[in-house]
Order: sequence, then structure tokens, then C-alpha cells
Amino acid sequence: MTILLEMKGIHKVYPNGTAANRGVDLQIHEGEIHALVGENGAGKSTLMKILFGLEAPTAGTIEYKGAPVAFQSPRDAIKHGLGMVHQHFMLAPSLTVSENIVLGEEPKKGALSLFRDRAKERGEIAELIRTYGLKVDPEARVDTIPVGQKQRVEILKVLYRGARLIILDEPTAVLTPQETDELFVSIKALVAQGYTIIFITHKLREVMEISNRVTVLKAGKTIQTLLTADTNPEEISRLMVGREVLFRVDKRPAEPADVVLSVRDLHAADDKGAPALRGVSLDIRAGEVLGIAGVEGNGQTELVEAITGLRRASSGSIRYMGEELIGKSVARIRAMKIGHVPEDRQTSGASLDSTIAENLILDHYRNREFRRGPFLNAKKIKEFASVMMKIYDVRARDENVMAGSLSGGNLQKVVIARELSKNPKLLVVSQPTRGVDIGAIEFIHAEIIKRRDGGAAVMVVSAELSEVMALSDRIAVVYEGEIVAVLDNTESLTEEEIGRHMLGLGNKTSHREQGAV
Amino acid sequence: MWHSLWSQTLDLTLIVVLLRYMTPILLAALGGLISDIAGVINIGLEGLMLVSAFASIAVGSATGSWELGVAAGVASSVLISYGMGFFSIKMKVDIIIAGFAVNIFGSGFTIFLMSKIYHMTGNYSPSHPVNIPTINLPFLADVPVVGKLLSGHSLMVWLALFAVFFCVLMIYRTPYGVHLRAVGEAPAAAKSLGIPVTRIRYSALIWSGAFAGLAGSYLSMGMTSMFVKDMTAGTGFLALAVVLLGNRNPVGILLGSMLFGLASAVATIVQTTQGSAVPSQFVQMIPYLVTICALVFFEVRKRRRSAGAVTA
Amino acid sequence: MRSFKQVYQEALGILVAVVIALLCGFVVILATSSQPMDALSSLLLDPVSNLFNIGTIVNKAVPLIFTGLALAVVFQSGVFSMGAEGQLYIGGFAGALAGVYLHGLPSWLHLIVIFVCAMAGGALFAAIAGLLKTYANANEIVTTLMLNFVAILTTSYLVNNVFKDPTSGGAARMKYLSPDLLLGRPFAGFPAHAGIFIALAVAAIVYLLLYKTKLGYELRLVGKNGKFARYGGISTKRVILSSIMISGALAGLAGIVEILGIHGTFKDNFSAGLGFDGIIIALLARNHPIGIVVASLFYAYIQVGAQTMQVGSDMPREVAVIIQVMLVLLVSSQAIFHYMKQKFRAKGGERHVA
Repeated sequence: MTILLEMKGIHKVYPNGTAANRGVDLQIHEGEIHALVGENGAGKSTLMKILFGLEAPTAGTIEYKGAPVAFQSPRDAIKHGLGMVHQHFMLAPSLTVSENIVLGEEPKKGALSLFRDRAKERGEIAELIRTYGLKVDPEARVDTIPVGQKQRVEILKVLYRGARLIILDEPTAVLTPQETDELFVSIKALVAQGYTIIFITHKLREVMEISNRVTVLKAGKTIQTLLTADTNPEEISRLMVGREVLFRVDKRPAEPADVVLSVRDLHAADDKGAPALRGVSLDIRAGEVLGIAGVEGNGQTELVEAITGLRRASSGSIRYMGEELIGKSVARIRAMKIGHVPEDRQTSGASLDSTIAENLILDHYRNREFRRGPFLNAKKIKEFASVMMKIYDVRARDENVMAGSLSGGNLQKVVIARELSKNPKLLVVSQPTRGVDIGAIEFIHAEIIKRRDGGAAVMVVSAELSEVMALSDRIAVVYEGEIVAVLDNTESLTEEEIGRHMLGLGNKTSHREQGAV
Repeated sequence: MWHSLWSQTLDLTLIVVLLRYMTPILLAALGGLISDIAGVINIGLEGLMLVSAFASIAVGSATGSWELGVAAGVASSVLISYGMGFFSIKMKVDIIIAGFAVNIFGSGFTIFLMSKIYHMTGNYSPSHPVNIPTINLPFLADVPVVGKLLSGHSLMVWLALFAVFFCVLMIYRTPYGVHLRAVGEAPAAAKSLGIPVTRIRYSALIWSGAFAGLAGSYLSMGMTSMFVKDMTAGTGFLALAVVLLGNRNPVGILLGSMLFGLASAVATIVQTTQGSAVPSQFVQMIPYLVTICALVFFEVRKRRRSAGAVTA
Repeated sequence: MRSFKQVYQEALGILVAVVIALLCGFVVILATSSQPMDALSSLLLDPVSNLFNIGTIVNKAVPLIFTGLALAVVFQSGVFSMGAEGQLYIGGFAGALAGVYLHGLPSWLHLIVIFVCAMAGGALFAAIAGLLKTYANANEIVTTLMLNFVAILTTSYLVNNVFKDPTSGGAARMKYLSPDLLLGRPFAGFPAHAGIFIALAVAAIVYLLLYKTKLGYELRLVGKNGKFARYGGISTKRVILSSIMISGALAGLAGIVEILGIHGTFKDNFSAGLGFDGIIIALLARNHPIGIVVASLFYAYIQVGAQTMQVGSDMPREVAVIIQVMLVLLVSSQAIFHYMKQKFRAKGGERHVA
């Protein structure tokens, strides 16, 4: 059993201070299928980018086939026999499968090798398809074939260039169950022929099904490497999620009153048209915080968008204070005192090229009190902004500072200030403290609890389990577009239990049986 | 007017005129096509053609050689498009603005040179004009229909038709063509496979310069034997319209150029015939209206295909 | 609404661009002129050497201010409409029609009607491209460029065939408007017409619109971050349409003011690319109304300078094109501005890049 690849002590710190890898060790044996698991943000993608020459490590060494290497570019890595199948496919839509596979290494003929040798290309591709059993139509345009086949094209691309070590980044994220099965058959066939596979995923069932060994990353570090045969999903999930310093927020027990938001059997599609919400039902009461836990990409984004009017649900109902929200415009919904702190504050949550004041008045600029005749009342806006900045502890010189020059925490406080300034009855927050410093985190958490105590209904969506547990009174877990569990956040609730549900392992209480959630 | 039009169609004069008008549009459009495929659409075709038209006739009449004239035209146009590449790729000037700057430059600089070198303001007619030769096929010239169709065209007309064939070969039969398309559609993918994206973009612009150069030299040494200020008169924009209509392939470009060439030919005939029923301005407008309609048509068709679930 | 530091940064960048562009022009002059010093002094000094020239500068700046404003408005909303040329033809035509063919109105009212017609004409024509963009997702660069030709050709046809003044001979035009409708010269001996006051007033109005009103706020927000605007419930369709129509109205004003101030009536092909000059002005001024006024005066100064240079030396006026082109390229070079932003930001606030 030879060691094919060894990455030791890999650190990667980005110029803005984010530490994506903080000492990662990875050892890959020749001919194995090695799973690399970890939550979002654990550092898996960064590690692979470094391996593949897309990024340079801040520290650490890489040895490939016993010799030290430092790939300067993907081309470099490819030349050494590495291949990467990216999560987001890198294919040219109007070119054929065959053209995409040989892109950059086309067989040539003719004077000065100016022309494509299409016959040779056809032959080589046919041979490739036959050898590896990855069936695609070489003459089909890539934008006409389904996702599963696109992935095969990516794999063939990698094989065509002679890769012996293949990295698959979240390959099943976009596949149907049948396509996943076909993929696994192909992977096993490749390994039988002597290839080595690194398989990045957070789906533990697949880890158990297909890998020989599994390495768990958490918060930029390697936690442990295990033999798959010797472990089980519970152990892996415990290592992935683990015990962390819990941000314990001092809070009174909740005193939930009437139901403010009632979602019933909600269905919605994602941007690509695939089903994202498959019948979600939940209730939130005034004076309580409902946490939505789950690995990103299981429908939380679409749920938030459906409630706030940014995405139209295809069926089901969302009732807020007795009124149906589906079909209402975003402006209307915002005017109904629903606050929304979006998960991507830099694109949806704020306008970085505008001033703090301009960001703060997004809801208020239409109101009479902010106007003076046909104009905006500059004085009132300035006052409002100053007051907001003070209350919400936004640290900047004045309200004319560009939002883009604020730190993450400060920018988030601006967003929070704006949303809370209208005294919402329903507050929907998504990833509220991602990329935010400790001090701001405490502040933001305290604000959320304050609102809850003031009678608002709050929905907190977070991939950070400790945050969900710190803030929520009840926790609903989302998995593959459905609510698979609703748990009371009591003292005895453990992260492992929630983690199991997040990974689809818990006893799924069928939403049909749930009735009123 | 209709009678005149019909009789000219019958004796194929219309075809001859059509080919003459089609040529600069076709050549410029092929250049525009290549740059569009690579994702660096060149809207500066007008300016490039003007520069080339001037350089061709200047060098051509000074040396007495049309070959040198054409070469000068192409060279000057290529030089400017290289500069355009520098500003848009390196200095990150928006490609549209860069093309716009090339147009302004082409118009003004040629007038400047005409004034400086020849001391003329409106137009320059060399005393001993040199033209791109017409190809007369002696054995065919007197054959009824075929003779008129095949003989007596400028060399550039044949070159333009050949260029269509050349572009088909280059875009679909060479690795370079595949790389062009990849760089235009999926530059990240191309880069990850080691294709030199920047170099390809520069080369695409240079190709567009070369073709625009040919078109320009034809204007001053083929269609006419002079240089008139702003003589392109929107041909470059017509070429752009053809690029959009032509659905990104050279044969479509050919058809589009023929259509617009026809419109221009008809417009000319109409303008020169007395008592025309249809005003020339409306005939001239046809290419532009057609482009808008085609654009809308394509967009609506694209939207109908995709799912689209997000609210606006 | 921006901090002094940012304005300073941008102004510095533009200044650098101006200096380099002028230097490029100087190099060409030095290289090709037999009397370079004469040429340079004619270019730079003659325009401001007498009242007539200064007045000409002012007159030339007027339509540029309007088209510059038109482009600034539309660029600030993130729309790349290049249709000012066509819109000014349609607007000018509509205004001229109202001027020539409406009778019996007192002059002041007639003038108001003329202006309204010009603005409406420009706005409605611009709305065509606007609707095509918002409802058919048709690229506005292409549609507006195409529509420019449609507008120029249509008005050309109309003025040559339907509304032609029989006494106009070869250069087709409508009948002249009555003199009391025209913009006179308020200062004796100074050829600037009253249009400059209208231009300055409109610049002030556009400034107020963009920075002090609801619509202006929405417009700029849509231009800066459409996603954020949509998240906030702003209808981007409505804003884009409004923006392009306002732009059309401003372009229409450019047309009619030029007609009332210089030509006296609608003349075939009266605009030598004023709409396109407006694009350059807007780029130079980074879309700010005050900057537009300054840029228009500067651009007009160069144009007049080029003319006086042609008269006073052996340099043709097209040398100014070199300067204009370099200005456009340098001012639009994101690389330059990025570079400067990096240098300034390295000192300033820390920024989180998620």
C-alpha cells in the first residue's frame, strides 16, 4: 500500500484575515477511495484548491509520489496526473461533448498541425467511453445533455488527460439517486483499474457506501482519519460537528403567544427548476425564536425567499397574521412589518457602493416623514442614520461612509439596524453572524433576543449549530427540502442529536403525521 | 421605380450591385463574428474600416501598387485593433467603450491625415488611382446569364466569399476555433485547462482588424477610387447587425450580409431613379428594424425555453 | 453624499487622464506641425482670447450639457442606452413642429409647449428601447444604436418630404420659427445664447433629482446593486423605464435648445454626433451633473481650440480627436481607478471579503 499523496500541515490564510486551513494533514493511498468530509466552511474546498494549483498555501508541504511538489497552476497539476471534477461544472455549453473533453489537447493534423484531426478525436473518445463505461453521446452539444451526463463529461475530461488521482468535489450534489448509483459504479470500475479517488462530500450515507477511508475536517483542521469499515455515521457526524464553545446567551424562557406565521405544505423550486422545498410546514409564535438548522443547500434559502416574497412558491400557503403572503410583492411584505436579514449581506443585504445612510433608509424613503415636498428630507435622514448607528453600535466615522469599507460585523449591524428599525412583528434572519467578529456576534444575538422578548416572532436560519442552539426556543431541522424534525431546545438536547437529523440520519417524523408543528 | 428595379433584376444588374454592396458588410461582419465568438465584440468596425480605407488609397496611389495598398490597409487596421485589445484587456476599459473610441478615432484621424498629407478636406481623389482588379473571365464573359453572374466582379468580392469558407474552416475545423469559442463562452473552463485566454482574445481582435482592413481597402480602392470623410456611412453598424442576426456562424453572416447588401442596393437604385414610390430613407432603415425585431425574437424564444421561477 | 476623500480620488484620476490626453495631443502636434508653438497657442489660448470665442465655447457646451446629463442619468441606473442621438432628433423635431405649426399662442406659452413636446418626443422614443429591455430583455446597446438610425432617417424623410420649407432648396429644413420664440443673446457683443441658462438650470434640476429625490435614490440604487433594490421591494422595471425616459427627455431638450439657439428651425442632420459626444462627457464627468457642466465646457473649449488652431496654423482641427479618444480611454480604464482605489483603501477601513 503505497502513499500516493501526502499533505502536511497545510495552512491558508487569506489577505483579509480569514483562515481557511489551519494545519490540515491528508494522506492518500494509491488505489483507494478516500472521502473528505466536513461542514460548510471546514476548509475542504480550500484544501483541494491548494492541491490543484489554484491557490498557494501559506504554510505546509505536499508530496506526490514521494517527491515534494508545489503546483503553480491547474495545468501543472494536470501534467502530474491529477484531475479535478469541480462541483460547478466547467464546460462550454455550445461545444460538443467531444470538443469539451479534448479542449486544449485536441488531436491535430495537416500542415503545421493547424487542423483538428476529427477522425482521431472520434476514435480516441470512443475508446475512452468504452474503456471506462461512461456513456455519453460525443457529438451532443453540452447544453442539451442532462446533469448526470455533464458530470461524466467532466470525468472523461480528466481521464483523457491521463489523471491517476481524481478529485471529485461534491459530485452527488446535483445528481438524482439513479445517477448517483451509476456514478458509484463508474468510480468502483476506475479504482479497479488502479485509479485513486478523493471524494469530497457531506453526505455520510455515501461515505459509508463507497469509501475505504475517511478524513474529517473541522474549522480548518484535520480531526481524524478513519477506516470506513471501522466506523459509522454517528461517529463521523460527532467528529464533524463536535463540541465547541457554545455562545450561551442569557435569556429568559420564552413566553410564546399567538401564531404569527403559519406555513403549510410549501413547495418551491430552486433557480435551476429543481424542487427545493417539498412540502414544508411550520408555525412561529410571537415571542419565540424558531431556529432552522441544516446543512446549507437543503432548502433553507428558498424557504426564506418564499416567506419574504423574493421567490414564488409553487404551491402551499404562507399565512402571516391571517393574510396569505404568496403572491404579494416584496414591497408589500416588507411594509407588513416583516424584517429580513439576508444570508448574503454583500449582494442582497446592502449596497456596498452606497453610503450607510442610503442603506439604512431603504424602507423609509417612501414615508412622508422622510420627505420635504418633492425631495428627501436630508436632515431627517442624517438624524435617523446617526441615531441608528448609535443604537446598533455601528463603528464608522459618520453616516456618509461607504458601506463597502465597513468590516463584516459593522455591515451586518447596519443591515440589522435597518431591519429592526421598522419594529417588525416577524423577523427572518439568515446566517446572521457569518463572517462577523465576536463582539458584534454578541451584540447581534442580544438584539435578536431583545426583539423576541418584545413580542416579535423570530426565525433564525443558520448553518452554525451552536448559534441555533444558543438562540432558539425550538429548532426545526431541514433536510432535502423537508422539515425532518422539530425539537424543543431543552437542556438535554445535544448537538449530536441535531446533527444526525441534519445529515438525514434521524428518525424522520413524516410531515404528514406531524399535523400542527 | 418598380419597373426600373424589375428590369435590373432581370438583367442581373441587381445581383452585381448587391455583391458590390455586400462585400464590405460581409468582410466586416466576419471580423465582428470572430471577436464576438471570443467574447470581445468589436463595435469599432467603422473606425477600423475608415483607417484602412485611407491607408490603402494613400499607400496604393503613392506606390502604384494595389497589393501594397491593401496590405497597408490591413496592417493599419490590425495595429489599431491591437491597441483596442490593449485598452480593453489590459487597462480594463469596457469593450464597448473601447470600440466606441476606435470609431471616433477612425473618423477624426483619417480626416486629420487627409488634411495634413493631401491638404484636402472633404475627399481625396488621387490623380492616378490604383484599384483592386476586377476579375474578368474571358471565356465566360459573353455567355448570357452565367457571364454576368461570374465575370467582372472585383477580386475583393471573391475574396469575401472565400473568407466565408475560410472562417467556417477556422472556427469549426481548427483547435484555434474551438479555443475561440471556449474562451468566449466559458473563460474559466478554458483557463483551467491551460488555454491562454488573454492571448486568444487579442488574436480575435486582430482577426477582426484584418477583416475590417480588407473591407476598408475595398471601399476606397474598389467600390470607389477615392477617400471621402466618414465614407463608411454606417456600414460598420450594419455589419454588427449582421453579426447579431447571423446566429454566430459564418453562413448565417453570409445570408445576413446578402440581405443587407440587397437593402443597400435597392436603396441606391431607388435613390437614383426619379419618381420613386418608396422613399430611400425607409429602405435604408430596413436593416436596423430587422435587427431589432430579430433581437427581440431571439430573446423571447430564449425565455420561453428556460424554466425561470424567480420573481423579478 | 460621498465623502470628500472619494470625490478627491476620482477627481485626481480624471485630472491625470486629462493631462495625459492633452500631452498625447501635444505630441502629435509637435510631430506633424511645422509651427508647433503657433499651433499650441492657437489651440490653448485663442479660445479664451476674445469674447466671441468664449461665447462660442458656451454655445457649444450647451447641447453637450444636455446630452451629457441624459447619459449620466441613464448610466447611473446601470442602463447602457446609447440612444441620445436619435432621441435628440425626435425631440428636436417634435419641438420644432410645435413651434412652426401651432399658432395663436402667446410666446411664453408657446415656448413652454415647444419644450414639453421636445421632452415628450425624446422620452417616448426612448421608451421604445426601455420597453424592449424590460419586457423582452433586448440588449439596450444594440436597440438604441439601431433606433438612432431609425430616428435620423425618419426625421430626415419627414423634413425632406412632408414638412419641408419650399424655400430651403437642397438643404432641407422646416420653416423658420418666429423670431420671438428663439433663444436670443442676452448679452450684447457676446454671442452666447440664452440656452446656457436653461442648461445650467436643468443641470441643477438633474442634480436635485438624482441626489435629493425618491426616484433619484431608487435610480442610483438600481444602478449600484439591482439585487439589493429588488430585495428592498423596488421595482427595477419601473425604475429602468423611468430612467431611460428621463434620459430621452433630456436628449430631446438638447435638440430643441440647439434648434432654438443656433439653427432657428429643424434642419436635416443638424446634429454632428451630439448624442455621442454626450457619452464622452458622461464618462469624463463620471456621471455627476456638476462634473457634466465642467466637462462640457472643457470639451467645448477643446473643440473651439481645435477650430482656432486650424485657422491660426497648419493643423487641422481633427487633432482634437486624439485628445478626445485618449480622454475616453483613460477615464474609462477601470484598471487605473482600481489601482488608485487599492492604494487609498489600504490606508482606510478594513473590509471583509466573505
